[in-house]
Amino acid sequence: MTIVNYESKLCDLLSFDPAIITVLNRFDIQLGVSDKTVTKVCEEKGIDKAFFTTMLNTFINKDYFPQEILSTFSAAKIIDYLTKTNNYYQYYQIPNIERHFAYLLSKSDANNSSLAIIQKFFFEVKQELQLRIHDDCTTWFPQIINLEQAIGHVTIAHIDANICQEDSIEAKVSDLMNMFIMHLSGTYDVNLAHAVLTAIYALKKDISQNNRIRERILRPLHEALLSTQSEANHGL
Amino acid sequence: MGYNIAIITHNTLEAIGIKHILEESFASSAHIYACAGEIPEHLNAVYDYFFCDTECFASALDFFLPRKQKLIMVGSARNENNPATFISKYDDESTIIDKINTLFSDAKLKTRETQTELSQRETDVLRLIASGMMNKEIADNLGISINTVLTHRKNLTAKLGIRSVSGLSFYAMMNGIIAPK
Repeated sequence: MTIVNYESKLCDLLSFDPAIITVLNRFDIQLGVSDKTVTKVCEEKGIDKAFFTTMLNTFINKDYFPQEILSTFSAAKIIDYLTKTNNYYQYYQIPNIERHFAYLLSKSDANNSSLAIIQKFFFEVKQELQLRIHDDCTTWFPQIINLEQAIGHVTIAHIDANICQEDSIEAKVSDLMNMFIMHLSGTYDVNLAHAVLTAIYALKKDISQNNRIRERILRPLHEALLSTQSEANHGL
Repeated sequence: MGYNIAIITHNTLEAIGIKHILEESFASSAHIYACAGEIPEHLNAVYDYFFCDTECFASALDFFLPRKQKLIMVGSARNENNPATFISKYDDESTIIDKINTLFSDAKLKTRETQTELSQRETDVLRLIASGMMNKEIADNLGISINTVLTHRKNLTAKLGIRSVSGLSFYAMMNGIIAPK
């Protein structure tokens, strides 16, 4: 377990967990980070280093949830991050899995019905994720941003660190992974099956972090905004 | 597949240590509670094991005694004759891992026969889940209680590693339990 601080070097963090490149990309940081520290990179890119560090820590450590720090971030900032995350799913991770899956099917035994059925399940997961992204973009996120613009920043009274419910998408991605791990049968291209599995694992890890931020920060923040608005409407 | 585990102790450092070992060495999912009363009621049936210190155990006997088969005690006794289900905080890391490994292996051995494949009843429940029925409808259809349906669902998830209804449906298709859509 590594805790990222302002003096952490990005190269050390990437060596520890290369999957964090997905988080770095959302802050417009690409590979080739030399030996720069978090502070240095954030200064160069004009990034809020407290927010950046917190996003990295929540990605690496699922139990890292510093309530006092998290409640200081604006909803707009969190939504900006989640929107970039959604874009990454939509334009990179899902097409990446889809492409590898199609290639896997084309290179495997045509009579392997288990692969075709797992691919159908993948399409269902994809559709559900796309619907959630659409709902985020058109309804949930704009509603929160409008509330914050009207009311101003509110503080979340309490973040429940034990909220760990998997949502439907997270459960399905996990099931998809287990279908490969536990139930794949027949003849297939082993290397391509590994590639699909690795891509699904990357998506699962990312979605888990996304959900922690959605459920433990953004949803309580939304509720706090609604509550403040309701109190204002009733002249309290 | 790992286990779902509740760690119940006031000692945060102790809890973090146990959680770390369970997650890193046993791929399990562990949640920390300061006392038994903090565990949401709907999660009681979800946990496969309860790691608990002696103080919390003594203060919630009504909770722990019915679950003693799932209980692993953590305490400060150094006695070599401690029962297998007792972990001393003075044990070194490899001893703790060995003890937990033995406990989990014993539990797996006891259920090995039923873990390998689905029983006829579980297959029946799976077929009805895949056909879109809710728990109550499945219970009525098979003439069993809702609690029994929930137990079969839990066993299905443990055996197949699949939790979602659509995941179970696709598994049922893959294995000819229902016709492909």
